[in-house]
Amino acid sequence: MEVGQMQRQWVDYTKSLFLEGFLDGQFLQLQQLQDESNPDFVVEVVSLFFEDSEKLLNDLTRALEQPTVDFKRVDAHVHQFKGSSSSIGAQRVKNACIAFRNFCEEKNTEGCVRCVQQVKHEYYLVKSKLETLFAMEQQIMAAGGSIPMLELNF
Amino acid sequence: MAALQRVAQSSVSTTASSYGSCKGGGGVLSPSAAEMAVPDRFPAGLRVLVVDDDTTCLRILELMLLRCLYQVTICSEATVALNLLRERKDCFDVVLSDVHMPDMDGFKLLEHIGLEMDLPVIMMSADGRTSVVMRGIRHGACDFLIKPVREAELKNIWQHVVRKKWNGSKELEHSGSLEDNDPHKRGNNDIEYTSSVNEGTEVSLKGQKKRINAKEDDDGDTENDDMSTSKKPRVVWSVELHQQFVTAVNQLGLDKAVPKRILEMMNVPGLTRENVASHLQKFRLYLKRLNGVAQQQSGIANAFCGPADSNGKLGSLSRFDFPALAASGQIPPQTLAALQAELLGQPAGNLMPATDQPALLHASLQGAKRPPVEHGVPFVQPFIKSQSNVSKQFPQPVISAEDVSPGFGQWRSNNRSTVAPSNYHGGSSALNSNLLMGVVQQEQRQHDRTQQQSALIEPCRSFNVQPSCLVVPSQSSTGFQAGNSPASFNQSISFNKSTVIDYSLLSDQSNNSLNIGHIPTGNLKITGTLGGYSAPGSISPTSCIVNADNNSTSYQNSTATFSDSRELPGVLHNTSNSQGFYVDKSGEMLDQGPLRNLGFVGKETCIPSRFAVDDFESQMSNLNPGRIQVENSGALVKQEPIVDYVDNEKLGIPILQQYSSSDFMSPFTD
Repeated sequence: MEVGQMQRQWVDYTKSLFLEGFLDGQFLQLQQLQDESNPDFVVEVVSLFFEDSEKLLNDLTRALEQPTVDFKRVDAHVHQFKGSSSSIGAQRVKNACIAFRNFCEEKNTEGCVRCVQQVKHEYYLVKSKLETLFAMEQQIMAAGGSIPMLELNF
Repeated sequence: MAALQRVAQSSVSTTASSYGSCKGGGGVLSPSAAEMAVPDRFPAGLRVLVVDDDTTCLRILELMLLRCLYQVTICSEATVALNLLRERKDCFDVVLSDVHMPDMDGFKLLEHIGLEMDLPVIMMSADGRTSVVMRGIRHGACDFLIKPVREAELKNIWQHVVRKKWNGSKELEHSGSLEDNDPHKRGNNDIEYTSSVNEGTEVSLKGQKKRINAKEDDDGDTENDDMSTSKKPRVVWSVELHQQFVTAVNQLGLDKAVPKRILEMMNVPGLTRENVASHLQKFRLYLKRLNGVAQQQSGIANAFCGPADSNGKLGSLSRFDFPALAASGQIPPQTLAALQAELLGQPAGNLMPATDQPALLHASLQGAKRPPVEHGVPFVQPFIKSQSNVSKQFPQPVISAEDVSPGFGQWRSNNRSTVAPSNYHGGSSALNSNLLMGVVQQEQRQHDRTQQQSALIEPCRSFNVQPSCLVVPSQSSTGFQAGNSPASFNQSISFNKSTVIDYSLLSDQSNNSLNIGHIPTGNLKITGTLGGYSAPGSISPTSCIVNADNNSTSYQNSTATFSDSRELPGVLHNTSNSQGFYVDKSGEMLDQGPLRNLGFVGKETCIPSRFAVDDFESQMSNLNPGRIQVENSGALVKQEPIVDYVDNEKLGIPILQQYSSSDFMSPFTD
């Protein structure tokens, strides 16, 4: 596949992520921050996000498995997750966190357990999507091309 | 790794480095701190410390700040950050901190920084609920950013540094004279109500206004303005002073009353034409409002919390039951006096003998200091041709005075009470019913709307001194205010040079967490660390103290006015940003929870007619807090803080409180 085609595919894929709500404007901000002096910024930040998230999700799951659930703790984790997911623009994850927090406030264990499943689901979904995207980017770079600048009209 | 710490130099230019030299040491990579600042490149080179336990956010912020040409240090632990700041006091200009951190609460860090280093601190959080933002303001944050933060928002953080510095120097210059900020406030109609929250926050209000207006662009920083720097010593318009003013105006005729002539007639040493001019402006506005509000009174007054509300805690009032007061627009002077006496815990009667009306008002203001006057307060006599206002009562003064806190003297009380009455406007009866509780006032208004009342209310106005927000929070809360009151009062005292002295007094007396006690020492230290931009030499300990004190005080007290004013922008900002109603980008609804807890907003909130425009009124029963807030953001915002405050206090009448506090502020604080 030649570079131009790969680039077009990349653009289409990225757009679809936005359209389907996986990503929001904040992701665009990240992409705009990337430049020659920080060529891998997006990948770097997203990788950080993935790392933090794994830990967070584990903590969350464990907290909910306790005989007496400490909702404050759970809420703190969710809040943290909400913050980091919103920072990278993982919109659906963020929304799942928001819903989650409501259940935390209500101290609804069952609801929380369902929510954590939902959050995990969304997280893994966006993770795989982003990994696909980054793989495409690498292919483009390897072929000597450059990542196009996105111009999305929201 | 203990903490992620890094100092990143702007990739763009190495010359855009620190403004001051950073001598620091250990453990942290120093930027080429030896490079001297290039002033005309400001704000490039602003030295920012970012504290956030979330490494993703930290990295993103770092890069964004670098792109703004700032010099960035990142830190993932609050304790480490604090130590860093302590070691290298002069090495940072502004601090960005997250709210939720595992090792230390962001607000605590905020307090520490405010106390020890007096650096502007901007809080950040993914949680954009008003209550959280409110807390930020109360604790002294210059600003509050909702995550995810955008680069555009970071671009303007330098303003906080500048503002702080300027306010610091200005305090020095203007100590003792009233800062004429009215024009600023007046300029913005939208903010009229909101900014009326507290005269003491004039500067910040000004900033806030701008902010609110610009908010839609999502450009500037969010809400809160630099509260910490808003205090300036200013003339406190005591009852007597105001009476003199009113007399002079009357004699000259409102149309012909020019500041110069008024000043001459008043013949008060130390009073400047500017002081009079600004006071006159306020007075005029107040009169205008009386007129305008009059029409709205009828419907609203009833809507407001009824008598019960009058018990709202604003100040000690809660303790007293003023159903009668609330219900009736007028309270016979004797009753009022008795009530006041009761409130103040002193036998009514030994009010200042000299003046009647002023005395009455003043006395009540004084609170502990002076028992309420029992004269029937013909408060507005000078103005009011008709004596219909005779039955003025000033319950409010009582309220505020009470809480005013012991030993602080009249001025403080003044502040408090002033706030209360001032919102009152309304006809003569309004004056009478000048209960702190807005409700009562509302009713009063209905009765007669003579502008003359304004005269009455005027005296109350002297609250402006700083976070006179005193009215609201300080008093009501038991624990809260005890310590804080002094602080707040202190500020109010700032109207003259005794500010410093007061502070020290306060610090001795105050043992609350306000850290007032810290201030003296802290401030002294602060002088040197005011930041690279400030001219340390020009900032005297006094000013530092005032600043810091104000900051801490206001925050602590979360006084309504102060916080109100600060919050307003914030809230508005959030609202507008989030497509209305506190819905953040993700569509999250503003937690109704907190709002509900506040007892405020939404449902049964009674919104003072002042704020409420007709549609607002109709919304009163609207259960959607968001709606209300959005539409009447100004008003709501204002109230919110109060409510919040109230909520903390566990007062049962949040609404009333809101009302009163905001109400108080409105007429003149504006």
